Amino acid sequence: MSQPFARMTGLFKTYDMGAAKIRALNGVDLDIEAGSLSVIMGPSGSGKSTLLHLLGGLDRPSNGQIEVGAQALDKMDENALALYRRKTVGFIFQSFNLLPSMTAVDNVALPMRFARIPRRQRYEQALKLLERVGLADRAYHRPTQLSGGQQQRVAVARSLANDPKLILADEPTGNLDLSSGASIMRLLADLHRSGRTVVVVTHDARMTHFATQTVHLIDGQVVTEKEYEAALEMLIAEEEEL
Amino acid sequence: MASFELIATIFENLGRRKARVALTAMGVVIGTAAVVVLVSLGIGLQRSATAELGSIGSLTQIQVYPGYGESGPGMVMRAAPGGGGGGGATDQKLLTSEALQELSALPGVVAVIPQEYSQAGGMISFEGLEGYSSIIGIGTNDLGDMGLTAETGTLELRHSTAVIGHRVPENFFDPRQRFEQERPEPPDLMGKQLVLTLEKWEGDGSQSGPTRKVIQLRVIGIIAEARAEADYSIYVPLDDITAINEWVLGRRISRAKEGYSSVLVQVEDVSQALEVADLITELGYQAYTPQSFIQSANRIFLILQAVFGGIGAISLLVAAIGIANTMTMAILERTREIGLLKAIGATNQDVLSIFLGEAAGIGFIGGIGGVLIGWIGGQVINVLAMAFLVGQATEGGPPPSIAIHTPLWLSLFALVFATLIGLLSGLYPALRAATLVPVTALKYE
Ligand SMILES: Nc1ncnc2c1ncn2[C@@H]1O[C@H](COP(=O)(O)OP(=O)(O)O)[C@@H](O)[C@H]1O
Ligand SMILES: [Mg+2]
Repeated sequence: MSQPFARMTGLFKTYDMGAAKIRALNGVDLDIEAGSLSVIMGPSGSGKSTLLHLLGGLDRPSNGQIEVGAQALDKMDENALALYRRKTVGFIFQSFNLLPSMTAVDNVALPMRFARIPRRQRYEQALKLLERVGLADRAYHRPTQLSGGQQQRVAVARSLANDPKLILADEPTGNLDLSSGASIMRLLADLHRSGRTVVVVTHDARMTHFATQTVHLIDGQVVTEKEYEAALEMLIAEEEEL
Repeated sequence: MASFELIATIFENLGRRKARVALTAMGVVIGTAAVVVLVSLGIGLQRSATAELGSIGSLTQIQVYPGYGESGPGMVMRAAPGGGGGGGATDQKLLTSEALQELSALPGVVAVIPQEYSQAGGMISFEGLEGYSSIIGIGTNDLGDMGLTAETGTLELRHSTAVIGHRVPENFFDPRQRFEQERPEPPDLMGKQLVLTLEKWEGDGSQSGPTRKVIQLRVIGIIAEARAEADYSIYVPLDDITAINEWVLGRRISRAKEGYSSVLVQVEDVSQALEVADLITELGYQAYTPQSFIQSANRIFLILQAVFGGIGAISLLVAAIGIANTMTMAILERTREIGLLKAIGATNQDVLSIFLGEAAGIGFIGGIGGVLIGWIGGQVINVLAMAFLVGQATEGGPPPSIAIHTPLWLSLFALVFATLIGLLSGLYPALRAATLVPVTALKYE
């Protein structure tokens, strides 16, 4: 088998909280194939966001290796990591993270500014991307003038600004109603179909339906589906006891 | 990142958040305005103090009298040594023409002006009024050499003319007037003819009365208030006084042998007066300078400088702290935004240059506002203070001259200062935020 697009080996992320040590990731080994659509599932606090942040170069592992497209993220310096985030990754957050003072098109054009793309070209491209997510008529609205679903579509357009190979989405529908969520799912599925590698943290069955790979996380470790079901049942039982 | 792109981004960003920028800039405006007003007040007070002290022309003047050696009197004598001509101790230093040259060669000396008082008692009359002022013959054609300025007319003396001090007209009174009557307005003497009646007693005084001589003097100028002897004096050409004194003595006076009774030495700067006076004393003459006055004036200058330097420094510090505080808060609350910028590919330098640029921009905008408000505030205080002082001013006293003064350099300095403080106070929070791990910045509450 050929080299996967991304490979994580023995990945640890620990937080020192005084006396207690929190293991957000507790030895993760995971491959992500190029052009795949991976869905990461897990109860709250199981380390899904942490995993996505490491994959997106937004944070560094405490231990272990993480390689994306033959680049070793754990060995990169600050600038190289910034370049990796700029060129290779498009990140979609649960809370959109649009800059409130900027219009939709400003927000979408922003990543291209750091890529030193001339202003005119930036805005042409940003408008095209907004058209692609169906928001051409909202280009000059501010985030506060948009619905949650529309804001998340702007965020999807922004993630595509520098034409990244890897799209990472952390519970992108978590703050959305069902139908808005569905349109985001369709957009992500489209991105996968157009050849990008997509990793989504979600519980939404409509996404798992498109998935080429489903990853189950429990307590910072990747587990099989069977183990996952068992762990979930235990969690539910614990909650009922309370 | 191209610097043009950076500047465009900075101003776009500032423009997008007008309300927030205005709020942050307010801190800068207040600090800068405080500095501008306080320092302007200091400068204004110092200027008016300088004007008041500087108007006392005698601060740059040294009064020189002949030296009489060890045996000579320590006291100042008004009259020249008696008519004996020569005689006395050999170490006598007379103010001869030669001595005048010696004095003018001293460093810092700009003028050496012989002065001679009238040796005859004299009454001055004008249109039925009588006045008694000292009449001084002055060895210069231009009283401007003495650091005096004209209020009206000219200070250039010619034969049979007089230039009078600011308060001389006030010394004229009506001899027929009774005590309880109010004094008349001082006469306007400019261009008028004064009649000087001189008296001398001849021989052993056995005669029935004094011999009289009448001289006409035309007033060709009035000296602006000098707060010195000049205010109460009538100046005439030296030759005219020599003629009077020769009449009194009944013989000719030789300046080469007898010298002058006193000489006024004018130095360039107040600070040189004491030094030059010492040099003149070393040469064997008697030199008098209002030195205790100069020393206390210097002390006042020093205190003024210290007080306003201190106030300026404190207000600078307070302004800097205020600016740093608002800037720090403004950047801290944008930590999440910085996290997002890093998440979409901004390097630390990208973030730093944008946020520092914005901090400097806010400093600059606030600086402009502060300079404007400080300047306007100063003008308002000026108007109010003037109105107050005019109301308080005593009758006949000098007009109030305390004024806030904002020089251009202060405005420019305040603007540069505000920009720099904005930049510097943005440095720490921006650097801190820019070097945060993106996730940490994004999670910042
Ligand atoms: N900055 C942090 N400091 C301390 N603990 C953290 C931090 N970030 C995450 N954690 C902990 O790491 C664990 C995994 O977090 P996360 O990846 O956000 O979970 P998920 O996204 O699956 O809900 C949780 O227990 C969380 O409390
Ligand atoms: Mg999460």
